[in-house]
Amino acid sequence: MGQMESAFMRQVVEALIFASDVPLSAEQIRQYVDGATPSQIRKAIETLNLEYTKTNRAFHVIAVAGGFQMVTRENYSQWVKKLYHRRIKARLSQAALETLAIIAYRQPVTKTDVAAIRGVNCDAVVKTLLERRLINISGRSDGPGRPLLYRTTNEFLRYFGVNALSDLPKPREIEEIMKEENHSSEDAVE
Amino acid sequence: MIEKKEGYRVRLSNFEGPLDLLLYLIKREEVDIYDIPIAEITKQYLEMIEVMRELDLEVAGEFILMAATLIQIKVRMLLPEPEDGSEDEEEDPRAELVRRLVEYKCFKEVAESMESFEVHQRRLFSRAYFEWEKQYKKTEVVLREVSMVDLMRAFKTAMENIPSVTAHEVSAIGPTIEGQIEFLMRRLTEKELTRFGELFEELKDKITIIVTFMAILELIRTHRILIQQSSIFGEIYLSAREV
Repeated sequence: MGQMESAFMRQVVEALIFASDVPLSAEQIRQYVDGATPSQIRKAIETLNLEYTKTNRAFHVIAVAGGFQMVTRENYSQWVKKLYHRRIKARLSQAALETLAIIAYRQPVTKTDVAAIRGVNCDAVVKTLLERRLINISGRSDGPGRPLLYRTTNEFLRYFGVNALSDLPKPREIEEIMKEENHSSEDAVE
Repeated sequence: MIEKKEGYRVRLSNFEGPLDLLLYLIKREEVDIYDIPIAEITKQYLEMIEVMRELDLEVAGEFILMAATLIQIKVRMLLPEPEDGSEDEEEDPRAELVRRLVEYKCFKEVAESMESFEVHQRRLFSRAYFEWEKQYKKTEVVLREVSMVDLMRAFKTAMENIPSVTAHEVSAIGPTIEGQIEFLMRRLTEKELTRFGELFEELKDKITIIVTFMAILELIRTHRILIQQSSIFGEIYLSAREV
């Protein structure tokens, strides 16, 4: 198959993303669309999104978990939510979010590392996160007892709607927290 | 005083651990995290632990361990500085605690931002291939969520329905929660909707019923099963949740 006309290629990309239930990476799309370069694919998706906006579509393509996925727009959530009702899992607990934040920045880590930072045991939380496929076991540490090491998954990126780990909120520098602490005590004086 | 304590109950159950509780006290007292008035904070911390005890909240070992650490720091702060060892500057006894508090605060903040990402992303829906939830279509019963009270009532009924036995069989291996979780998941995947009563009718002795009930609570907590009811005070149904 030779070079495709760009308008046609765009529609092929659209068909692939539309039919997929997981985010498709530019690399994956390239495997199905002969002769397309990753930059052409990105351009095609950009153009598709412009068309969707222009024609007021209820969906668009987002970059998530290293790929592209078609999702409904936020303002239709109250209706789509009803369609999915029982499939929607509960929101994560505070403990689960903290544990994920630590794993995301310190990975690969052991449960003991996480517990040391949080100051509480997190066996149950880790179990839940494994069940929800937000983390997985990536091996064993060389430390005593060779404890299991945990990593965040692609599902983790998808769940939080980020493309890569680098898009996650950054922990503030310690100096910055220190400065803020001083400010807040000054504010209290005012 | 009771009212004040009731107010605490809500907040105490929200603390993720001793560090979280300490951060809260530091913020409430508007003190500098790098210069914690250790005597005052220790006093407040111990008061909170006492309230937890009075409310019969289970005080996790980690909270007690932190109390011991605080007291230890307090004691070290009271000790006079060694006169001769001035060249060898001793570290502030609070330093390690401060380091842990700051590190924890860092991740707590990240977790808060991640929560807003979560909330946003949950409003976006992508295509998913799911089979329409046939188990709910097949039955005519309209199911509603079950409250803890209904669940406890069903448990009580199950306990009352145990056939009274005169001779006791002693089994070598008692039922375990893990074992009953296995049993329940196997049962629930075989049959789409299982009546709570039906499940417990098979169970012969008290301990099995109690352990099975605990297994059900664990499965609810980890979102592995759904528990619903046809009407208020109606029959309770259990079903496996799709993972």
